[in-house]
Amino acid sequence: MQTLIERSRANPNIGRLTVSDPARRSILGGHGTDVALHETFEAIVFDWDGTAVPDRQADASGVRERIEALCAAGVHVIVVTGTHVGNIDDQLRARPQGRGQLYVCCNRGSEVFAFTGNGPKLVLQRTASPEEDRALDRAAERTVERLRTRGIEAKVVSERINRRKIDLIPVPAWADPKKADIALLAEAVTTRLASVGIANLAEVVALAADVSRGAGLADPRITSDVKHVEIGLTDKSDSAHWAADWLSQRGITGELVLIGGDEFGSIGGVVGSDSLMMVDAFTRAVVVSVGVEPGGVPHGVLHVGSGPKRFIELLDEQLSRRTALRVPNIDLDPAWVIPLPTTRAKERVAEALGALGNGFVGTRGSREEDGQGTAPLFLVNGVYTQDGHLLPGPNWTGLERPGVDRRHSERRLLDLRGGTLVRFGNEGSGGRSMRFVSVSSPHALALRAEAPEAHLQPGDPLRPPRDAADFEGEEHGCMFGARTGRAGAEIAVAARDRVVTTAGRRVVERLAAWVVAPTGKNRLDDAYDRLAQVEAMGFDTLLAEHRAAWACRWDDAEVVIEGDPEAELAARFAVFHLLNAAADTGEAAVGARGLTGNAYAGHVFWDADVFVLPVLTAIRPAAARAMLEYRIRRLPAARAAAEDQGLCGARFPWESAGDGSDVTPHLVRGQHNELIPIGTGSQEEHIVADVAWAAAHFAAWTGDTDFLARAGRELLIDTARYWASRIRTDADGNGHLNGVMGPDEYHELVDDNAYTNVMARWNLRRGAELLFRSGDTDTAATWRALAKGLVDGWSPQRGLYEQFAGYFELEPLLMSQVAPPPVAVDVLLGAKRVAGSQLIKQADVLMLHHLVPEEVVDGSLASCMAFYEPRTAHGSSLSPAIHASLLARVGEPDRALEMFRLAARLDLDDLTSTTAEGLHLATMGGVWHALAFGFLGVRAEGGMLAINPCLPDAWRALGLKFRFGGQPIGIRAEHDRVTIICHAPLLVRVADRAPASCEPGGTTFPLKTFPTQRSQR
Amino acid sequence: MSIILAALDTSTAARPVMETAMRIGQLTGADVQAVHVRGGPLESVDAPESLAARSEVPFRLLEGPVGPAVLAAAGAPDVIAVVIGARATPDGRRPVGDTARRILENAVRPVVVVPPEAVSPGLIQRLLVPLEGTEVSSRPVLQRLWPLLVADIELVVLHVFTDTTLPAMLDRPEYDLEILGREFLSRHCPHASYIELRTGPVATRVAEVSEEHDTDLIVLSWSQSPAPGRARVVREVLSGSAIPVLLLPDSPYNVDDPAGPMRVPS
Repeated sequence: MQTLIERSRANPNIGRLTVSDPARRSILGGHGTDVALHETFEAIVFDWDGTAVPDRQADASGVRERIEALCAAGVHVIVVTGTHVGNIDDQLRARPQGRGQLYVCCNRGSEVFAFTGNGPKLVLQRTASPEEDRALDRAAERTVERLRTRGIEAKVVSERINRRKIDLIPVPAWADPKKADIALLAEAVTTRLASVGIANLAEVVALAADVSRGAGLADPRITSDVKHVEIGLTDKSDSAHWAADWLSQRGITGELVLIGGDEFGSIGGVVGSDSLMMVDAFTRAVVVSVGVEPGGVPHGVLHVGSGPKRFIELLDEQLSRRTALRVPNIDLDPAWVIPLPTTRAKERVAEALGALGNGFVGTRGSREEDGQGTAPLFLVNGVYTQDGHLLPGPNWTGLERPGVDRRHSERRLLDLRGGTLVRFGNEGSGGRSMRFVSVSSPHALALRAEAPEAHLQPGDPLRPPRDAADFEGEEHGCMFGARTGRAGAEIAVAARDRVVTTAGRRVVERLAAWVVAPTGKNRLDDAYDRLAQVEAMGFDTLLAEHRAAWACRWDDAEVVIEGDPEAELAARFAVFHLLNAAADTGEAAVGARGLTGNAYAGHVFWDADVFVLPVLTAIRPAAARAMLEYRIRRLPAARAAAEDQGLCGARFPWESAGDGSDVTPHLVRGQHNELIPIGTGSQEEHIVADVAWAAAHFAAWTGDTDFLARAGRELLIDTARYWASRIRTDADGNGHLNGVMGPDEYHELVDDNAYTNVMARWNLRRGAELLFRSGDTDTAATWRALAKGLVDGWSPQRGLYEQFAGYFELEPLLMSQVAPPPVAVDVLLGAKRVAGSQLIKQADVLMLHHLVPEEVVDGSLASCMAFYEPRTAHGSSLSPAIHASLLARVGEPDRALEMFRLAARLDLDDLTSTTAEGLHLATMGGVWHALAFGFLGVRAEGGMLAINPCLPDAWRALGLKFRFGGQPIGIRAEHDRVTIICHAPLLVRVADRAPASCEPGGTTFPLKTFPTQRSQR
Repeated sequence: MSIILAALDTSTAARPVMETAMRIGQLTGADVQAVHVRGGPLESVDAPESLAARSEVPFRLLEGPVGPAVLAAAGAPDVIAVVIGARATPDGRRPVGDTARRILENAVRPVVVVPPEAVSPGLIQRLLVPLEGTEVSSRPVLQRLWPLLVADIELVVLHVFTDTTLPAMLDRPEYDLEILGREFLSRHCPHASYIELRTGPVATRVAEVSEEHDTDLIVLSWSQSPAPGRARVVREVLSGSAIPVLLLPDSPYNVDDPAGPMRVPS
């Protein structure tokens, strides 16, 4: 799909921050020295004539040899040249084999050829229309004529594809100037121009541009190599754009790219032709000039000179780095890189923040040497012990690091774009490491580390997790194998280390593979087999495919917040971990902390269904489907739970693990060692409707009607059946749900909690709808009547929903009288005092406005927000993001932004002091909710997408990409307009307009700008 | 050689000071030395001297004003802690007498304050360490106390949530309080065996938990600042505690000091 970045070129009003924004520079602060050259690049983009070869007659066998070797090593090579492919192929003759690709972008941006073992193959060509060709002719002839009238004899010397070339100095002495003589040539041309009163070459270029526009070329590309001035439809910037896009689709951006040329500086007042390769998308690329550059080089270009000889040396260094298995680099883009805390106190927080995963497994970001105060952990989704805890697998990231002192400056960075965790130590002993949990090959785990040899030893590749009772390890030839758990719940890992020491520097490369439920006599054989497959790919191939897979993930889930880089980075951090939470096949048990820590034992709560699932439904529908599958496969357990209570249908548990039974703790020890019953398991029955809501939301958002006709149908009907048997009808015919607990857990054992009742009502109505369609009209009618009679706490007099029966009679405490939120006010005042007050833990009634706005009274959001918000302690991590979403909906985007920041920074700032044992996935889900449902105001209305943006002042624009109705969608909202990008016709309703159809491409709708509540104040 | 200095006076409070010093010596593996500052040329020193003799520890007579004399003795390189009496009598007007207060505020070594009514049932086996959860208050425990201990002991950490240290959020108290506790210990006192999380007045909770866990010694770090509003918890604990209280100055010191954690640069 066309990215928002691409759109930004097509339409300057669509896209992300421009590269001139200082925030987009590398977190290293830009490249001012040639240190940047001594990194490992994944792609090399370079000019041909004067950079790779001295001239077009030179022997290019040395370059060919190196290009083919680089391609074989996996490096992508892209030649950018003004000439045609025949000239290059005659000279280069490269026929690369291997993972790295060779492309030649020729004819000044008009063509791209792929070079393979079979020679060049055209992959892209800009084709001029006949009118454009005529306009080019006119422009060239008129330029020559204008020059003639000024006294300069010039002539059109060639008519190449999409351009015309005019010789400014058609004299024998300068018939074929050498690149090395460019300064002399410039002097001769300038003298020639000056003799007729033309100041410099730039004046000729300006003249040609002016003439070309007059000749009918809307966007003429005028270039000059000093001898010639060329009028074209394309130039090297088009080649660079193509290269940048092609590379970014493979996760190769910024500092992973080396750009080489010899003409970056201006000559005769005209910008150097190679500077056209410095397009926005290559902002952080390392740019080097080997040319003479008589006029100097632009800012950001490293001038090393020495011509092609030096360029060959640069290629050689890249080859030697590959041979020595040097740890790869990442693109240190501050918009995509999370620096992890480095203090001892925040060690475990850093491990959680830096956790990697692929939905199947997760590994915490522990330092390789781990040790005291660390908590390395390797988990597999859905593999629970018999007592309902996620089983820790063998740790595979441990290394011996003698002499490494953490107090030395070191940085650990989570690369969100590429899905890697890197560590840059000090030059003395710290070394460097990179690891990843492969997204493209889900069973593969990879780590590479380098350091002075005295400071790095591989040690045991597989180590027992803390408190592991069932760990067994063995050596198996050159491999190592280890497993934890017992039959039925078992994790096996195999690993092999490769150690290379070059000139005192040691590299340890570790590849590992995991399996669950191994079979066979030797329980580790499956893991060894997997490892063989992983090793056949190798670290570099795995990394390349992993990065490409992440690029693909981000292409479906892009988040852009212009004007607020911190919020943008935090939002991407949230999306990154959400994408890691669930695999997109089978079933996915998404615990409250995902696979980033052992908090909550990996148990699954409503967090998964209500907070995480809607996000994955939009950005990774297959993963959301796997989450639903987890619930569907546990319907039998839910039915049994209902039956145990003497009820019908399915009663999903508040907390569940492997088998779907309720694993909620029943008791907890209080401050005085007394046992306190925990009511959530028995009272938070709203989970039943939450699960059903998730299924219906998935179907509505994806348009997957088949889901509700098959697998999802039972789920919706059996949950409705539960409510039908659970509701007690009084003498007046009103239905009640007594003895429940809503999302506000400060008030236990309440009657007719509005959230529970309205969600149950919604559930009954959806169930009735499905039954009616299948012909069971009697039951459908019964359920509808039950739904209609179920009290919901709406008070027309007050214009409010009462949170539960009797709530309005409680002590009318406000948070402003107690403490500024967020605060665990139950700890501050005591549970009893809080239970007797109107203080609430989190959005409760307001959750209805968030989840089922069609079920609440029109216009009740504002009054409920005004009433409940001052009473909300935000003592739950689930709360701030929902308030952010709803505050945006009531036209208070700046207050919404305050809540959004609270949620988005919750783990990054360890606001709860519990991040160390895992990230708050539901909060992260809420962050996306706030962006999509709140600030963008997106909602599925049948097959139509409703959009109603409301941005805070601090944001210039908000852009999101997701899938809706089976197709990828991009939305970019500014304060006064919204642009919708789609691939197929899409029915939308923007703000209060009538529904309209968006055709493929981008459609922009103007927005009325209303004063916000904030500005009214 | 490491020395525990027992500062004895001529009151009945000298006995629990001597006994506590002996117990601290067993806890740290240090030798105990008794000192007494002569109150005047005619004062008899028989009582403290014989108390030292009965305990089989060396006795040293100091001259000069009591506070400066004890502080000077405590500044000796071998001394790792000083044991003093809180006040002369159990019903004394103030929880800590002037002399004890002066020593506490100026000592560069840890000081154990022994209430006159303290009883000594045997070995020190369980320490209560109230921590407020800041690096500066935890550092003395991590860096000054722990390296001293040679005996097997049980460290019970108490953290009392106050207005400023309340958790912002508790999603599931039954889980989150455990996580908070683990993480608190990991950051502030990894050697501890147990943590109690409480709310309410700190000194009251210290007394409660000390009694519940039958602790033998309360360990507090403090800034040694006598300014109004500072060290309120220290004052209250000293006032109410029936067991000895070890006060660790949180003055900065260099952890890289090759002489070890107790070698505080003068």
